[in-house]
Amino acid sequence: MIHLNNVRKFYGALEVIKGIDVTVEDGEFAVFVGPSGCGKSTLLRMIAGLEGIDGGDLVLNGTRINDVPPDKRGISMVFQSYALYPHMTVAENIGFSLSLKKVAPAEIRRQVGEVADILQLGELLDRRPGALSGGQRQRVAIGRAIIKKPSLILFDEPLSNLDSALRVQMRAELQRLHRELSATVVYVTHDQVEAMTMADKIVVLNQGTVAQVGPPMELYHRPDNEFVATFIGSPKMNILPVAMTRDGADSIRLAGPLGMTFALADASLPEGAARMGVRPEHFKVVAADAAHFVAEVAIVERLGVETYLTVGSIEQPIVVRVEGDVTFRPGDRVPFAADTAACHIFSTDGRILRSANVA
Amino acid sequence: MSAAPPGESANRLRGDLMAYASLSLISIFCAIPFFWLLVGSLDGNAQLFLRWPETWTFANYLRVFAKEDGAKWLFNSLFVVGSATFLVMVLSGLGGYALSRTRAWWKLPFLYAILLIRVLPSTALIVPLYKFLLTLNNAEGALLRPIFGSTTRDIMRWTGFIDGYLGLILVLATMQLPLSLWIMKTFFDGLPRDYEEAALMDGATMLQRIRRVLIPLALPGLAASGLFAFMAAWGDFLLPLILLSSPELQTLPIGLFRAFLRINEIDYGLLTALAFIYLVPAVVAFGFARRFLVQTFSGGVKG
Repeated sequence: MIHLNNVRKFYGALEVIKGIDVTVEDGEFAVFVGPSGCGKSTLLRMIAGLEGIDGGDLVLNGTRINDVPPDKRGISMVFQSYALYPHMTVAENIGFSLSLKKVAPAEIRRQVGEVADILQLGELLDRRPGALSGGQRQRVAIGRAIIKKPSLILFDEPLSNLDSALRVQMRAELQRLHRELSATVVYVTHDQVEAMTMADKIVVLNQGTVAQVGPPMELYHRPDNEFVATFIGSPKMNILPVAMTRDGADSIRLAGPLGMTFALADASLPEGAARMGVRPEHFKVVAADAAHFVAEVAIVERLGVETYLTVGSIEQPIVVRVEGDVTFRPGDRVPFAADTAACHIFSTDGRILRSANVA
Repeated sequence: MSAAPPGESANRLRGDLMAYASLSLISIFCAIPFFWLLVGSLDGNAQLFLRWPETWTFANYLRVFAKEDGAKWLFNSLFVVGSATFLVMVLSGLGGYALSRTRAWWKLPFLYAILLIRVLPSTALIVPLYKFLLTLNNAEGALLRPIFGSTTRDIMRWTGFIDGYLGLILVLATMQLPLSLWIMKTFFDGLPRDYEEAALMDGATMLQRIRRVLIPLALPGLAASGLFAFMAAWGDFLLPLILLSSPELQTLPIGLFRAFLRINEIDYGLLTALAFIYLVPAVVAFGFARRFLVQTFSGGVKG
């Protein structure tokens, strides 16, 4: 179990990590995700010991390891570039940490063999990294990490150098490995799809702070703030400015762009300006008399099983997901309705006021 | 792939022929001096102009080593240039690494300043340089003479700054260091820090990181910087001419030069044989470093 308690990092006077509290349980696959510059890689390097920690505690299995040197922490890291030594064979790369510890060659060979079996690298042991494919290199890098029997494995954007087909394959492979090794993993990525597909727990970081921590579907359905709401999910959640006026004790009326207007059953929302978040799949094409608004279709993206329509103005586009292959064309005027239960309401400064009411 | 129309393929053929013909001419033009040297050095009666030898013989080479001090000159050249090259490789390896990784404000000014050393012609510096080395040399002599007495000269032959190996080695290395530092700095810039950090996480000490990770990774760069240092120092004529005066210290180019200056006659057979011997180490060095050069100048280490 690794526990970060109010961890901070400064570059000069600039605070880049602003007091982060996260706990990753044993065997958990935790993904740190956020846009570039959010501090996720810095945070990972602080856990690894490659960057100093300027405040707070880093606790691994009950021991504070702020000042423990990187190789004594019991933590392995898989680097973005994999950092496989081109002058060593696969076996030498995997066994490098053991050979530094002066382990007997026969014992190194045995352990490298074990790791190679897990990773299906048996036939590649005598090759140089230059002769391997991207996926094979990734497996060697993981082999080099797990041979140390670490209590925590760190991954720094390990899939970003791969093409998209291989990335999908490696995501599955990483999940399989995680299950087989029951390893504790902290994985950094800027790609929310990787986070959603692999994580047991996602930590969304924004400008050096934790925006939200939780399992993928909780973040998807119950974001704490507008940042998480728009960062998780693809295409992004639509965010629309709305004016709220109370039209009864239990009901509030929302007026949005494109003449959109409907009532929400809610007793607690305040009147005034707010921002409404609706995911693309929570808009429906409806009959004209049931419409919340009517909008002109600007872009049609057909993916076969689903179609994304971009409707409305350029300043305030709305993306709508429609099942199947529809016949709409750009320029068509189409009536839409929002699934009112699935609407998120945020304050104008991005805090959640009302979560969606879905599973 | 579809076949090209006949007219086009004829055109292509003609173009290819022209290209090969002109390239062959250029190569012949470049190769003739070397060929001349080789032929002349094997000619029993070599003349100023290229001619086909009447008698083929190794006598010229024998003369270089038996009658003249050719072996001594070759050793002097190899020792001085080899030491300077080794020094340059060590210093540019360490310095280039430091310059690549540091974020100090003086990094760029420093890099441009050392390039000045390279840009300034050494001929212009020869007088102050000589003065400087002479002062050092006199100081060293004054220091050693009371201790070693009459053997001082034998020691100074190795460690002297004027008319000693050390002075020439240091000056040659200094002249080559700026370029080599630049090469190594650029090389390390292209070497991801990940390699070192991975080694650090694997528990490698500083020495292990240098010996087992950095040096093997830096070999292509070191070979390039070493080759440039070797070639430039090997070809240097002025510095050994000025800094060395004892006949037993003179290097190959100086030996060649003095052989050419002898009164009486010009022995073209001896000169061409000497010149050919002078060429060989440069070609051998290039042969060794060639495969690393491609890696260094076509972009980094592939892992």
